[in-house]
Amino acid sequence: MIKIPTNIMLVDDEKDFVEMLAMRLEEAGEKVVPAYDGHMCLDILEKEPVDVVILDIKMPGMDGITTLRKIKLLHPLVEVILLTGHGTTETAIEGMKLGAFDYLLKPADFKDLKDKLAGAKKKKDAQDERIRKAEARQLLRKGGNI
Amino acid sequence: MEPEQIKKIRLLLVDDETQFRSTLAKRLKKRGFAALQAGSGQECLAILSDQPMDIVVMDVKMPGMTGIDTLHRIREKYIETEIILLTGHAATQDGVEGIKSGAFDYLTKPVELSHLLSKIIQAYEKIIAARQSREAAAYKAHIEQQMIATERLAALGTLAAGVAHEINNPLAIIYESAGYLGALLQNEELADMPHKAVFEKALRNIESGVKRARTITHQLLGNVRKSEAILAEVDVAELIKEVILLIQKEAQDKEIVVKLQTDDDLKPIWADPNHIRQVLINLLNNAIHATLEGGAITFEVKAAADDMFITVSDTGMGIPKENLEKIFEPFFSTKAPGEGTGLGLFVTKEIVEKLGGHIRVDSRVGQGARFVVQLPSGSKLKDQGV
Repeated sequence: MIKIPTNIMLVDDEKDFVEMLAMRLEEAGEKVVPAYDGHMCLDILEKEPVDVVILDIKMPGMDGITTLRKIKLLHPLVEVILLTGHGTTETAIEGMKLGAFDYLLKPADFKDLKDKLAGAKKKKDAQDERIRKAEARQLLRKGGNI
Repeated sequence: MEPEQIKKIRLLLVDDETQFRSTLAKRLKKRGFAALQAGSGQECLAILSDQPMDIVVMDVKMPGMTGIDTLHRIREKYIETEIILLTGHAATQDGVEGIKSGAFDYLTKPVELSHLLSKIIQAYEKIIAARQSREAAAYKAHIEQQMIATERLAALGTLAAGVAHEINNPLAIIYESAGYLGALLQNEELADMPHKAVFEKALRNIESGVKRARTITHQLLGNVRKSEAILAEVDVAELIKEVILLIQKEAQDKEIVVKLQTDDDLKPIWADPNHIRQVLINLLNNAIHATLEGGAITFEVKAAADDMFITVSDTGMGIPKENLEKIFEPFFSTKAPGEGTGLGLFVTKEIVEKLGGHIRVDSRVGQGARFVVQLPSGSKLKDQGV
């Protein structure tokens, strides 16, 4: 079976990290678009389809928590995994409360990250599927009225 | 002064006139003062070297070693002892010289008993006051030292967490770079690459090195959790069984028997099971490391009043006295480099204290070690929202 790649956006101001992890994920069959701050992340979300955002918390300008808030407000279906070197229990809890799918501390085990990505993608797909069905029902109903 | 206190005064009478001395001793005894006697300066010093005295009442004019000579010797060696000199009526000069040399006071013969009694009591009060101020100073020094240690530790903790944060990012770059190269090597086109095995070995080393470093930074950050802290009823005995199951391989490798003894009617406690599990894992790992092959580790769980006591005893090599105070400090480890982070017991103590409990250790070299964790069993935790 051919694996359908997950559309991943990797948001981190550590460019070397973004570059390496992106190549590694692509080597594992995923599709990755990089972003180096919160604004760039939100801009890309307007233009490109993204399933899962891997988001750093400590970034100059707009921090990860603010970015997460905006993602969930503007693109509620996009799943977010927080991945940070600056983790505290408090930020983890705050992130989860704001709707992050999960939380990992850098350097995260690659298998752990892949498992989380798969989980997030599954959740996203299920949501998309529900929406498609709801829209189809709506269309049918409209069609019936004509 | 209370008769009880008077009885406690250690009093020594020094005079070469036996008659005078024993009469004075008898009269003192009637008033509740128990006094030892010495017939000369030498005898006085011999008694002092054998047992400490609070007050020495001493005649100045004695054959051989005079009262003043004896006084000098006492002052040199026994700082806490007070001396009351007895001088002849016409020899007040001796008394003045005595005070200059450190006597508490002097009385002229013939001695009026009530005068002597009040002098003895005054001298004793001086001793008590001095003792108390010495104890207060020592206590203050101890507290200050503890505060410095606490502050230093807090500063160190903050610094360490900051460093851990900063190190995680470069570690992640190293880890992903090595991981990417490792993945590339799996490609078919590189199947016959020269020295491929060496490259793979080197990459694995980099990865395991990063993992080692990560254990330290993550532990320093206090085991950041993926989910919220939870508060639940915890069956400690069940949790211990789980932990033993989890770590039994390490114990079996060293042929160590791990036993569990609990009270039958043990009630569950209110706590975060993840925290308690972490404490149990750290203590068990620690015990396994310390125990030689064929030894035994025993968990004991007991409930008393509002507390639960979890004891972990091992038959290991024990902890030298000079290390007992250090084992809970961060980065203190007796393990070989790479084997221990020196953070296990530090984190354990932090967790136990966060849960409102205490941890202590008893150990002697060659007789194993015994860690006792005392945890509040109860509802108090619920209010604190731990």
